[in-house]
Amino acid sequence: MVIGIGGAGSKIAGKLDAQATIINVSETELAKVPQAGRRILAAVHAQHGQFRGSRKNPAIGHDAYLSVRRELQEIARGGTVFSSTGGGTGNGITTGLLQDLAARESIPEAEKTSFGLVLPYAPLEPAEFVRNTIEFLRGPLSQAIDSGNTGNIFLFSNRVKFESRLSEEAFNAMLVDSLRVFLAIPDKNDTLRLLDGHIDPEDFGLFLARPYFNHFTYFDYDPQTPFEKQLDDNINPLLLPPEAPIEAIFLVEVPEGGDPTVFYNVLQYFNDMNVAPVYSVVENPERTQPFITVALLYSRKPAELLADFNKRNEQHAQVKVRKSLEQYVDLPRLDVNLEREAKRAVKQRGSDEDILQVLKRLGKL
Amino acid sequence: MKELFEEQTANLSEAHFLILYWATQGEGRQAKYNITNCFDDLKHCGITRTKQTAVAAVEALCALRFVTLRGEGNRRNLYITRYGARALEALVLRQKFTPRPSAFLEGQ
Repeated sequence: MVIGIGGAGSKIAGKLDAQATIINVSETELAKVPQAGRRILAAVHAQHGQFRGSRKNPAIGHDAYLSVRRELQEIARGGTVFSSTGGGTGNGITTGLLQDLAARESIPEAEKTSFGLVLPYAPLEPAEFVRNTIEFLRGPLSQAIDSGNTGNIFLFSNRVKFESRLSEEAFNAMLVDSLRVFLAIPDKNDTLRLLDGHIDPEDFGLFLARPYFNHFTYFDYDPQTPFEKQLDDNINPLLLPPEAPIEAIFLVEVPEGGDPTVFYNVLQYFNDMNVAPVYSVVENPERTQPFITVALLYSRKPAELLADFNKRNEQHAQVKVRKSLEQYVDLPRLDVNLEREAKRAVKQRGSDEDILQVLKRLGKL
Repeated sequence: MKELFEEQTANLSEAHFLILYWATQGEGRQAKYNITNCFDDLKHCGITRTKQTAVAAVEALCALRFVTLRGEGNRRNLYITRYGARALEALVLRQKFTPRPSAFLEGQ
């Protein structure tokens, strides 16, 4: 089951799966998504109908979570949830879901929920998005990772969208196409001629149920060039860059009659990193050269992730202060006598003034 | 010397502050404020439960010449000195402690 929460999450979920369930606090936002199997309006207290979003306020989203809590927990079981971390609805409702998952003692592998989280591009997106993301990474996401009760977490970044100046539609299409390449691994194992190894849907499901960050990528594989270099050159620009992997999965597609042993170099690379990957090699007649799809599971402490966002948040705050000073404040030069100011403050407070007066009256001051 | 005075004043505790405060209030109202009253008030404020602590605080203030103890009848009454006045002024201006009412003086 694919679930989209909030505006950004719903659009991605709808594009990935026409039968996706989408959730929002605004009817208008729900109607904006052209494809969706089911639309759920999460209830918030609104006097004139629910036509407004969360106004970048995660607290509104979190309140609304309570109205869909039971249902969302049920449909998210074993599914994939897409949401942005910057806005109000996605952040707030996903926060509720993550907190509930983290509070459970344990969750069977088959019932774990994967998360596709879209993080803002800090240099160009609103300060509220950055601040909401900081809260999200520091709080619920951190708890959920510690609990080990989630499946893979995909940290998508809006960087490419802003740097390449893409429309939202084009960026979402790019993101979904990219995800489809990764998700096609078990299907390709089923439909194409298997040359080595094997990844069946159960293996793939197990991999998706691991509670780590997932960085997947794919590229034409050149057996003559070291795999490490190729991987570095081809990290997925739609995702945050990976750390040293803990687990990995890869699928090599070779052309018809191609060398099925090219995967040993890849295996050696992971072996050198003490990672035993799940892999398979298939023959794909549509390919003219080997093609590899690889996913790395890594663990990065949210604190490290946060550092980038905190830095940007601080810059935002500094700029705001500077701008407000430039725009509104004409600072006169003040000669402050600290003793006089302290006496004035004491006088304003009232009772202490008396004691100084008493001392003066007694001739001791 | 000024530095020494500032150092001494900065290290006074809340009990010392209150004793200076109540001694001044007492003197201002021409009420005799003695060590026993001082102990009762500190106990009432929850600052100490033993008379030794109250006596130690008063003796420290005496040693610093911030208060003097005068035996009047069978009571030893507290009077703030000029140094004590300056120390209390400094503490009040610094707003380090909040004054509390003396149960003895309120009942006068």
